[in-house]
Amino acid sequence: MAVAAGAGARPGLAHRARVYVMETRAQCLTVARTPAFTVPTLIFPLMFYVFFGVVMAFTPTTPTYLLATYGVFGIIPPSLFGFGVGLATERESGALLLKQTTPMPVGAYLFARVAMALLFGAAVVLGLFLLGATAAGVALYRWQWFALAGVVLAGVVPFCALGLAIGAWVRAQAAVAIVNLVYLPMAFLSGLWVPVWVFPSFLQELAVVFPAYHLAQLALKVIAMDEGQPVVLHLAVLGACTVAFLIVASFGFRRVSAP
Amino acid sequence: MSGSERTVMRAVAYGAAAVVVFVGTLTALPEPAAPEAQGDALPEGSFAVVGATVFDGETFRADHDVWVEDGRIRAIGAALEIPADVSRIEGSGRTLLPGLIDAHVHTFGTTLNDAVRFGVTTVLDQFTDPALAASKRAARETLARGDEADLFTAGMLATADGGHGTQFGIPVEAVSAPADAAAWVAARKAEGSDWIKIVYEDGSPYMDIPSLDPETIGALIAAAHAEGLLAVVHVSKLAHALEVVDLGADGLVHVWGDAVVDDAQAAQIAEAGVFVVPTLSVVTAMSGDGIDPELLQGAGGATASRMQRETLANRFPDLPDEARPAARGETAIANVRRLHAAGARLLAGTDAPNPGTGAGISQHGELQLLARAGLGSAEALAAATATPAAIFGLEDRGRIEAGRIADLVLVDGDLESDVSASTSLAAVWKDGYPVARSIDQETPEVPAAPATTLISDFEEGVGASFGAGWQVSTDQIRGGASTAELSAPQGALRVEGEVVAGDSAFTFPWAGAIYFPGPAPMQPVDFSGREVLRFRTRGDGRGYLVMLFSGGASTAVPPSVPFTAPADWTDVEIPLARFPTATPGLIGGLSFVATAPPGASAGAFAFELDDVEIR
Repeated sequence: MAVAAGAGARPGLAHRARVYVMETRAQCLTVARTPAFTVPTLIFPLMFYVFFGVVMAFTPTTPTYLLATYGVFGIIPPSLFGFGVGLATERESGALLLKQTTPMPVGAYLFARVAMALLFGAAVVLGLFLLGATAAGVALYRWQWFALAGVVLAGVVPFCALGLAIGAWVRAQAAVAIVNLVYLPMAFLSGLWVPVWVFPSFLQELAVVFPAYHLAQLALKVIAMDEGQPVVLHLAVLGACTVAFLIVASFGFRRVSAP
Repeated sequence: MSGSERTVMRAVAYGAAAVVVFVGTLTALPEPAAPEAQGDALPEGSFAVVGATVFDGETFRADHDVWVEDGRIRAIGAALEIPADVSRIEGSGRTLLPGLIDAHVHTFGTTLNDAVRFGVTTVLDQFTDPALAASKRAARETLARGDEADLFTAGMLATADGGHGTQFGIPVEAVSAPADAAAWVAARKAEGSDWIKIVYEDGSPYMDIPSLDPETIGALIAAAHAEGLLAVVHVSKLAHALEVVDLGADGLVHVWGDAVVDDAQAAQIAEAGVFVVPTLSVVTAMSGDGIDPELLQGAGGATASRMQRETLANRFPDLPDEARPAARGETAIANVRRLHAAGARLLAGTDAPNPGTGAGISQHGELQLLARAGLGSAEALAAATATPAAIFGLEDRGRIEAGRIADLVLVDGDLESDVSASTSLAAVWKDGYPVARSIDQETPEVPAAPATTLISDFEEGVGASFGAGWQVSTDQIRGGASTAELSAPQGALRVEGEVVAGDSAFTFPWAGAIYFPGPAPMQPVDFSGREVLRFRTRGDGRGYLVMLFSGGASTAVPPSVPFTAPADWTDVEIPLARFPTATPGLIGGLSFVATAPPGASAGAFAFELDDVEIR
C-alpha cells in the first residue's frame, strides 16, 4: 500500500479491492482466533434449537417458529460483537488510531465487519435450516426458505449500527458485558424464544421498542406466524433505529477524535 | 496478474463458492407436500381438485381441474395452471359435481344440516313455517362458513280450509275464493316466499279432502305471475296435472301414480314448458318399492342423524289397500319415463323428510329412481343441479363454472357409467368450506327394562309391574273426537269406546289404551334382548293395531302391527322385529287401538287384554 501511495498514482481498482479483502480477512481471522466469540456465536443458536425446537417442541408449529426467531437470535452476536467489542478494543489499544493513519478507506473497515457478520450469520442460518429440515421435519415453500434467509441476513444492518454505537462509547473492558446485557434480554423480550403473545400484556407492549422484535416479526411474516402488524411499521422502526444508532456512533467518534 | 489481483480474485472465488453453497443448500431444503384430501383435514377457501371427471351441471368432462378461491370457483379446465401453494386434491378415479339441489323438501328439525352432510347444498322447500324460512334467509346470501344447506322456499302454501297442508300443525292461511288470490299472494311475497306453492288435492277416490277449485288455482297462478313469482302446484292425479298445465302453472311438484300419461298429454306438458318434480322417493316409499334406505344411509361415511334414521324407518299410515297399490310406484316411474321422452323438464326432489325418506340421503335414491325411469347419468344429475338452478333463478350455483359458488361434491367412482356411485361421497364443500359429515350422536341415558317379562296380568286392576302404566289414548290430542275407557273388572283390561271421524280429513282417528314402560309417558326403556310381545285378547271380532313408540321426538306415525280380537280368549305373539324403528329395543309406549282410515269413522268397539308380556 505504501508503495502504491508513494508512487503518487491513484491506487488502481485491484489495489483498493485488495484493501477491502485484506481487512475482511484480518477481521475474520481475528474473530476466528477468539473462541470465546466463535463458539457461542455459532453453537448456541443451533444448540438451543436442538433443545427447544427438536427435543422439547411443545407444539407442532414450534420448530418452524424458532427457525425464524433463532435465525434473528443468530445474527445479532456477530453484528454486535464485531463492532461493539472489536471497535472498543481497537479504539482503546490504539489500533484504530493506527488504522486511521493508513490510507485504508473507512469503508473497508466497515465492510470487513459487516461481511464478517454476514458470513457468521449465514453459517448460523444454514445450520438452523438444515437442523430444522432434517431433525424437526420443517418443510417450507422454496420462496419461504429464501425470503426467510434474506430477511434474517438483512437484519445485520441495524445490529451492526447498534454495535457501532456501543463500540464508539463504551470502554473495552465493559463492552462484552454491555453487549451481553443488551443482547440477551432483548432476545427474550422480543419473542425470539417464545412468542410475545404468551407474555403478560405490559411485556407485550414493551416488546415493540426492540429492533429485534421488528426483525423477528418480518421473518415470521414469511411463514405467516407474525403478530399481524404491517410490514411498513417494522421497516420504519428498523430504519429509524439504524439511523439513530449511526448518529449516536458519530457523536462517539467525534468525542474520541477531539481529545 | 499482479499480487493484488490474485488476492482479490481468490477472495471473489471464495465469496462466490460460499454463495453457491448457501443458495444450493437453500434450494435443496424440503418443500411441503401438496395436501391430500383426508377425512376432516380437507383444504378450504382456496384449493384445487385436479384430474377429476367433472360434471359441470350439464356434461361430464374427463380429466379436468377445478380451482376454488375464496369460496367461489375461479377456473375449470383441462391442465389448469394452478400456483404451487394451492392445496391439491387428487381427483383421478373420482367425479366432482356441483352441490346437489333437492327441489322438494319440507324444512324442520335438522333438515338443513342433514341435507348438506349428504351433499345437498341447496334445498327448494315446498312448504315450511315462514318464520323459520325468514331466520335462514341471511345464510344463503353469504359465503360464510355454515353447516346447513341454503334454503329457498315457497313458505306457506295455498290450500283450502282444512285441505292438504293443514294437518302438520303449521298455521296456514287458507284461500277460499278467486277474489282472495291477489291479496294472499302479495302477503306471501311480503313474507319472503321465493315462489308460490298451490295444493290441488281432493283425496279421491280414497278420501274426501277439501280442495281449492280450478278457478281459485287459476287466480293464484295469475296473481303469482303478476308479482313475478313462479307458481308450482301439488297434484296427485293425471287429470289434475293436465288441468293446472292449462291454467298456466310453471311446475308440478309431484308426479301422479293414478294413470299413465299418454304421448300426446306428455307432449302437451313438455310444450307448455311446465317442469315436473316427480318426487319418486316419496311415491315409491308409499307403495313400498323404493330404494332400500339401508343402501343410502352409509353414504360415504357420513352419519345419519336421529331424525334421518327415524324418518327413513317411518312408514305411511296404514291406508286401505286400494289406496296403496304397489303399482302406484311403477305407474309414477312410467310417467317420468314418458315425460322425459317427450322432452319435459324434470327436477330431482324427494319430499323429504316424509315417511320413508331422509333429508339429503334420499336425493341419492332419487337419482337412482330417475335412472330407473330412463334418465342417463348426466340427465339425472342435471335434474339435481343446473336445471333447478336455472328454473329458480339461482344463477350463482348449480354449475361448476368460473364465478359460481364453490358448493361441490366429490364422489369416489365414475358417475357417468353409474349414477348410484353418488352414495360414495368423498367430500362436500359449502361455499368452499368442507362440510363435517359425521355428527356426534346424542346418546341419552336409557334405563334398562326390569328383569320381569310380565307387564300386567290385571289381577289387581289397571296396573303394571313397572313404568307409568296404562292410560287412555285417543285422537283427541290431535283434535279428534274418538273416545275410550279402561277398566279391569274381571282380572283383564277392558278397553271400550268409539272411533269417529274428526273435523280434519287428515286426522287419523284412533282410540284405545297405551302402556308406558318408563317412569313418565313416552320416556323410553331399553328392551334390547327381548324378542316378542305376547298378550291374550278377546273382543268384538274387529281388527286392532299395536303401535310401538320408540320415544323419540318425531311426530311421524309409529310402526304398527294389526291383530284381531275374536270372541274367545286368544294368544297373540308379535316379534318386536316387526316394528321397524330407528332404535330397535327402545320402547317409550305401546298402544292397542281401534282405528279408521283418515276422515272415516269406525263406530263403537270393545276388546280385552290380559297377561301382557315382553320377553
